[in-house]
Amino acid sequence: MAGSEIKRMDTISRQRRISFYIFISPWIFGFLLFQIMPIAWGFSISLTNRMAFTVMQKFIGLDNYRNLLADPEIRYSLLTTFIYTVSSTTLAVVTGLIIALLLEKEVPGRGVFRTVLYFPYMIPLIAVGWIFKIFLDRDTGFFNIFLSKLGFISSNIAWLSDFPRGSVVSLSIWMSGWSMIIFLGGLSTIPNELYEVAKIDGAGYLRRLRAITLPLLSPFAFFQFVTSSIYSMQKFIEPYILNPRQQRGGQVTAMIPPRETFFTMARGYDIVFLKNRFAQGLALLWILFAIILIITVIFIRLGGFVVYTEVGEKR
Amino acid sequence: MAMLMSRQQQLAKIVKVLVLLLLVLIFFLPIVSMFVTSLKSRGELYVFPPVVFPKEPNWDNYLTAWTMIHYERYFLNSVIISLFYTVPCVMGSCFAGYGFSRFQVKERKTIFMLMLSTMMVPYMVTLVPLYLIVSRIGLADKRFFWIIWGVQGAPFLIFLFRQYFSTIPFSFEESARIEGANRFQIFFRIMFPLVQTAVIIAAIFAFQWSWSDYLMPVLFLRAEKVTLAVKLVNGYVDMKQNILHNIGMAGIVYYTLPIVIVFFVLQKRFIAGLLSGGLKG
Repeated sequence: MAGSEIKRMDTISRQRRISFYIFISPWIFGFLLFQIMPIAWGFSISLTNRMAFTVMQKFIGLDNYRNLLADPEIRYSLLTTFIYTVSSTTLAVVTGLIIALLLEKEVPGRGVFRTVLYFPYMIPLIAVGWIFKIFLDRDTGFFNIFLSKLGFISSNIAWLSDFPRGSVVSLSIWMSGWSMIIFLGGLSTIPNELYEVAKIDGAGYLRRLRAITLPLLSPFAFFQFVTSSIYSMQKFIEPYILNPRQQRGGQVTAMIPPRETFFTMARGYDIVFLKNRFAQGLALLWILFAIILIITVIFIRLGGFVVYTEVGEKR
Repeated sequence: MAMLMSRQQQLAKIVKVLVLLLLVLIFFLPIVSMFVTSLKSRGELYVFPPVVFPKEPNWDNYLTAWTMIHYERYFLNSVIISLFYTVPCVMGSCFAGYGFSRFQVKERKTIFMLMLSTMMVPYMVTLVPLYLIVSRIGLADKRFFWIIWGVQGAPFLIFLFRQYFSTIPFSFEESARIEGANRFQIFFRIMFPLVQTAVIIAAIFAFQWSWSDYLMPVLFLRAEKVTLAVKLVNGYVDMKQNILHNIGMAGIVYYTLPIVIVFFVLQKRFIAGLLSGGLKG
């Protein structure tokens, strides 16, 4: 009797396992074919001296990595990518948070504001890039006109060539609708009673914000910081589109952007496809991969200290 | 006291709305500048002192933007590529999300974390070698590559579907199983219709990604099959290769329009769905 019971449980759990793998099989297929295979192959290439048209390919170990890390231009690109990532992530998250807080309670036209402020996030990147190239133009750009009408600036500023990093960051701020949505989702998880109790205790808005809202939103902010810095470190096409040097047609990637916005991923692309040094370019992309991994692990470790958790809750 | 409170609250409300209106104004300046530029004449682009508003709107630009580069061809290319990607991607993600939410097996959590951690792989680390492989075996310039590529789904969408499926009680499937439905019947007849909102959200995301993607079409497709994202950035030039920003902006308006329409038609369900189901946990 007990034996057949165990057998039955076995069949059920086997059935369950089969179902599990059937349903995730499309993902497994893609994972093996489009992740593991190119990653492994790409890594093995990065250990060679392969170029676009090499006849004599040979194994050179970590030489590509060593040479890249010794190159001051590459080091600068890692630094500028890092500065960009920190500033764009922070500004986008903070902007999203402020908008979400403004939309928190009963505000007239809440739904409309939400949609309208989310909207820039839906516009394709190529379009956003080109729109901003015109918007930030020194002479005819609306941004300068707006600022000078308000009296903030007396003479027009060439944003694209004098502040290239700031120009690219401005795109992320404009597209902070995503961050807003995440914080709105977070705000909706906070029970109203908490505020009621705090109000009865005489806590003002700022006190409630500091004691209730921000701690309870911290996991959402953390999620944002992790995902959006992973994403920002891979910035590629926008600097090319905002490139002030690009006045003529042809491939946008043919003309390199200013040094401050020539981020690591774009450098990798440039080395692979314009300089035709496959192995070296792949090595640079792998360095970027390693940095993203390290930063994410640090983030997750730090997350334990920064993010608010219930007392006694196990992480 | 109560009167005072409510007056204070009302004041706060008015200030909030004013700040929000200012934000909307600032957020819409780039859009306004896009429209204004798209209506400028050729001369107004380059004259000194510069012209901010065109003397009279050049609606012709919108016609030129279409005829100059055979817009319909690239528009159709973009539509094909986006559909080729969106449909399998939504299905694949839905499948995997269901698998991850429903079947308790030991290794489920590990595989799920592995799946999420693929988000950390820079997309070029996989795409560049893949391009080198694909062009070697003669699969370059084939659109069906997007179908195969889409099947794997996307980590964020798998996560989204898992969240949605987790809110559906197990009893729904139990009763169907007792009536003798197999796992696919249960999935397609019962579970799939219950996550319609997630399907809409996932479809909008997948469509938006493939519609805006620059790297994959530029790597994998040749001249005639290329999508709008690639064509627009180098298509609008005069004989001397000067970029025509006015006509370019008109082209950008066409390019953005389908997404804008889809978004505004579905925005209520889209945003509400994101807020209610997708992002918690």
